[in-house]
Amino acid sequence: MSVNWKRFILILVTGAAAGLAWNAASGRGFALGRSVLVQAGDELVEARDAKRLLDRGALFLDARPRDFWRMNRIPGALSLPEDDFDRAFASLEGPLRRANGIVVYCSGFGCDASHIVARKLRERGFIAAILNEGIPAWEDAGLPLDSVPRS
Amino acid sequence: MNPLARHPRLALVLRVLLGAFFIYASLDKIWNPAAFAKIVYQWQVVGPVPSNLVAVTLPWVELLAGALLLAGAWKRESALVVALLLVVFLVAAGSVVARGIDVENCGCVSVTQAESASSWPPSWTKGVGWFLVSRNLVLLGVALAVAFVPPRKSPSPPASR
Repeated sequence: MSVNWKRFILILVTGAAAGLAWNAASGRGFALGRSVLVQAGDELVEARDAKRLLDRGALFLDARPRDFWRMNRIPGALSLPEDDFDRAFASLEGPLRRANGIVVYCSGFGCDASHIVARKLRERGFIAAILNEGIPAWEDAGLPLDSVPRS
Repeated sequence: MNPLARHPRLALVLRVLLGAFFIYASLDKIWNPAAFAKIVYQWQVVGPVPSNLVAVTLPWVELLAGALLLAGAWKRESALVVALLLVVFLVAAGSVVARGIDVENCGCVSVTQAESASSWPPSWTKGVGWFLVSRNLVLLGVALAVAFVPPRKSPSPPASR
C-alpha cells in the first residue's frame, strides 16, 4: 500500500513541463506574463486614475449587456454593449466625437467585453482606455456606482 | 470491506473510466489554452498571471495522469495526482459558490462558451455550482478507491495434474 512519492512528483513536474513546452512551441500558446485579455494597443487605466478622468469630463462606456447597465453603472456612463455594438455605436457617435477622453469598462475578472469594445472603437478612430478589472476594481477603490434603475 | 469493492473487474472499470475522463477533459483545454486561461481567471481564485500558468500546465498533468491510469502504469501515484487535482478543484469551486460568483462555464471539460441553441446539456451542468461539487466528490471517491483499495487477487486455476 505504499506510495512512491518520487513518481507522484514526476507526474506533476513532467505534466507541467510539457504544458510550458507546448505553450512555447505549438503556435497555440500565449504570453504568460500578462493578462490573457490584454492585446497590443490596449490602454489600461486603474480605478483611481479613471475617477480623475471622470472628474475631468471623460465619457464612460459600459460594455456589459444593457440589462446590467440598467441595474447599475459608473455615474454618467452610457451603455455600449459589446453584444449589440453596431446598433448602440450608431446612436452614440455624436457624444463620442464630443468626448473629452473615453473609458470603457465591464464586469472585470475574465470579462473581455471592455477590451473588445475599445478595439472596435479604435478601428473607428476613437482612442478609448480600458478600466482595469472593471467594476470590481472601481468598487474596491471605494468609488460609487449609480444604482438608480434605468429603463 | 465489501467484497464487491475489491472485485478485479470493478477496479479495472473504475480506473479506465477515471483515466478516460481526465484525458477527455484535458484535450479542449490543451488545444485552446488562452480560452481556458480566461475561464480560470473568471473563477477569481488567482490573479491573471497565475491563471495563465494554471491554464497552461494543469491540462497536461490531467492528460499524463489519465494516460497512466488508462495504461495501468503507476496506478496508485497517478490516481493520487488526480485526487490532488480534484481536491484543488473542490476547494476552488467551494470558494466560488460561497462568494456567489457566477461562472457560466467551469472549463472542466470544454472551454467553448455555453451559447449553443440546444438546451442539452443543461447550463447547470456547465457552471460552477453544486452539480460540479457533487461530481468532483464522486470522482474523488473513485480516485481514492483506485489508489488505496487493491483489487482482490483472482483465484488461480486449479493446477493440472
